[in-house]
Amino acid sequence: MSLLPFIASGIGLGAVYALSSVGLVILYRASGTLNFAFGAFGGVSAFLAWQLGQEDIPAPIGWIVGIAVSTALAYGYGRLFAPKLAHRDRVVRAIATLGLALFLFGGMALYWGIGVARRLVLPTDLSFVVLFGVRLSYTRLIALGLSLAMAGGVGLFLSRTRIGLAMRALASDRHISAAIGVRVTQIDSLAWLVNGLFAGIAGILLANISRLDAGTLTFLVIPAIAAAIMARLSSLPGAFIGGMVAGMIEALLIASSPEIANLRSAGPYIAALLFLMIVGTGQGVGARE
Amino acid sequence: MIQIDALTVQFGGIKPLDALEAQFSATICGLIGPNGAGKTTLLNVLSGFVKPIEGTILLNNAALLGLSPQRRVSLGLRRTFQQELVVDELTAMENVQAIADHVSADHANARREVATALDFVGLSTRRSVLGRQLNLFDRRRVEIAKTLIGRPKVILMDEPGAGLNEVETEELRRLLVQIPSAFDTQLVLIDHDADLIASVCVETLVLDFGKRLAMGPTRAVLDDPVVRRAYLGRE
Amino acid sequence: MTGMSKAAPLPVLAPPRAEITPWLRAITIVAVVGVVSVVIALTCGGYWLSNFTQAYCMALAVLGCALLYGQLGLVSLCQWALVGVGGWVSLRFYHYVHPPFVLTILVGGIGASVIGMIWGLPALRMRGLYLALVTLMLAGAFQSLVTVISFPVGGPGFLGQVGASGNDRITMARPVFASSDTSYFLFVAVVTVLCIFLVEIHRRSKPGRAWALIRKNEQMAAASGVRIVFYKAWAFALSGFLAGVAGALLAGLFGQLDGSAFPTTTSIVIFIGTLLGGYDVWLGAFLGGVLTRFIPALLIDLNVNTNAGFMIFGAALLFALRDPLGLGGQLTLLAERLYCKFQAQRAS
Repeated sequence: MSLLPFIASGIGLGAVYALSSVGLVILYRASGTLNFAFGAFGGVSAFLAWQLGQEDIPAPIGWIVGIAVSTALAYGYGRLFAPKLAHRDRVVRAIATLGLALFLFGGMALYWGIGVARRLVLPTDLSFVVLFGVRLSYTRLIALGLSLAMAGGVGLFLSRTRIGLAMRALASDRHISAAIGVRVTQIDSLAWLVNGLFAGIAGILLANISRLDAGTLTFLVIPAIAAAIMARLSSLPGAFIGGMVAGMIEALLIASSPEIANLRSAGPYIAALLFLMIVGTGQGVGARE
Repeated sequence: MIQIDALTVQFGGIKPLDALEAQFSATICGLIGPNGAGKTTLLNVLSGFVKPIEGTILLNNAALLGLSPQRRVSLGLRRTFQQELVVDELTAMENVQAIADHVSADHANARREVATALDFVGLSTRRSVLGRQLNLFDRRRVEIAKTLIGRPKVILMDEPGAGLNEVETEELRRLLVQIPSAFDTQLVLIDHDADLIASVCVETLVLDFGKRLAMGPTRAVLDDPVVRRAYLGRE
Repeated sequence: MTGMSKAAPLPVLAPPRAEITPWLRAITIVAVVGVVSVVIALTCGGYWLSNFTQAYCMALAVLGCALLYGQLGLVSLCQWALVGVGGWVSLRFYHYVHPPFVLTILVGGIGASVIGMIWGLPALRMRGLYLALVTLMLAGAFQSLVTVISFPVGGPGFLGQVGASGNDRITMARPVFASSDTSYFLFVAVVTVLCIFLVEIHRRSKPGRAWALIRKNEQMAAASGVRIVFYKAWAFALSGFLAGVAGALLAGLFGQLDGSAFPTTTSIVIFIGTLLGGYDVWLGAFLGGVLTRFIPALLIDLNVNTNAGFMIFGAALLFALRDPLGLGGQLTLLAERLYCKFQAQRAS
């Protein structure tokens, strides 16, 4: 049985997961915080874009507002709340974002409801290509292109610019970086801003490819984290590939028997766990906090 | 007795220990050297936290490398650390009991050994004081008491005298000197206080850059010009 | 520093332990839970009685979560999934054997304990964040799984399902001595007290001391002869057992369990309850657990959308992280200070 149809149908979802995974890894590398609220930020972006569309505001404005709000939310959290936990360990900082995720999830579910079948329609849905027997809307191809461009762009930014260098220094050793004059809070805030930006875009894409649903969007973060784990929370290319693979596996599961399809959301979790058990975290128990 | 042969540790491009050959055979041995000489790394290798890339270690003729830290404890190895590690929310006695749980032969032995150890270090009257309420010297003594449980054979102490005043250091000296005979065990001591080392340790090993610089009777080693140059050259 | 990283240093209470004997502690536990339970039993009817019974089950789940976090600094985000596992195992066992209820509870506890360990053990060797992630993933995987396979209802085969008509469903019977709503609630209260005793006994004896050493510094614990993975696994097993018992009790309360009632978010809420209540004292687990059920029940009663509960819990988490004592911790500290004053006055 050829895998190509599944690879094709998994492109859109994979691109979203890849984008999300890269966003998570960048923030984790810069600030040591795993952002559980990534999906929730994306959800806010998607819902706002949808809501503005309902009010007959031109779609592009909706997208811009949505992405801007999610970026602002992330930046605001990174600037105002995250520093208060900067001295605590990674787990506590991650748990705090879990609280934020729950808060935003509750808000979205409250205002827009749960379980209502909705999709965020994008104009590029109307045109499609056929790849390996699978119909792919332009949106999915754009998602792939956009993800590649953003991931690549951020990778270049980290390796070629001074700020990118500072961000890498911070990831390597926070205390020493601060001691040699790297502006820790500024870099952190920038990392959160980028995270919010990625989330805003990923949310809109996922709301189109999958569902505009508070739960689906908020828990986007789970497969994204699974992919990021497979990249050892450190490698950008690894995060991207991990995300694509996660999307394709999920497409494979959806296309198989109905029983397995229902269990597909467990797929990334199990894959990540197996990966961790077999390959290890790459840092061992002795890693520094 | 500890026998060390060709011991090499490598971290990235650095060798904290470099083909070290040494022997701890006296009742109380000192381990000194300038900062960065590899003393704590050596203790960490002995404890089992750091894996050397080469070499062998024998503890009373039993091969140590490859054994887990817990297994080495059952062979009689004991250890204190540079930072004091007394649990705040347990009492002094409970802190010592915590090791007796795992090294004493049985319940009755455990109670007896804990009482003996606390008595020896002079903490019997403060046995029910919580860890967080103990001062630095009390905490050091709790750490020492922990090493005396369950028939120790070799006790490694990493700077037990750091931060103590003169009176406390004198009391520490008095305790250390009595440990080998009272508990039938060997003591290996790292410290920066040359007087403490000189008054307590029979033999001393000097490390520099992960290699053995000198080994022998403490007074001779401390007076050795090569050793003095290594210290003074650094300061 | 080479070697094992040390667990997160958690700020904990400083009770004047020398003056609180085991007997006093035991009596306090029985008295507090007893009085609260009797008041509830006498004043509550149907809706609130059922919700408080559920709240006590949540308290058991939180007790397990607090054990892992308070004693070892381990974050488990799958406690509700393990409650579901316990419920599933107990229902399966019940339909297979029809045993005495207490046995069903034990089997449910053991089942959840084993599953929790299988999932958690690989992660125990990793950094704390990975354990949190792995447990979150277990919760997510369980949510997917149980939505599909649902809970046993006396049907044939391993999954115990019956046809779409649902007429052949068998519900689990409550114990004969606790079949009414009120008596079942009091039964659950008794089990809660026993579980609190179980945890306290652990904390004040060998495992508790080993856990304290591990939390202070894993290297030092290893150098003291403590087998780290064993004791972490023990804590994990106990935590899972408590969740499983809660699941069995819930199954007994409703007679059956709903496959859509075990979302990932509830596991997160349980962890939030652990922090809100205070992870270092039994009262914290009790209050935290009760709160996690009480708040949603209150919202329903007031006709407020329950999603507001998520907003409340999410925000509460952000603030609970700043206060290590929690509600239960603050109350316990207050009580102990009063007790010390009382002792001092009696002595003079």
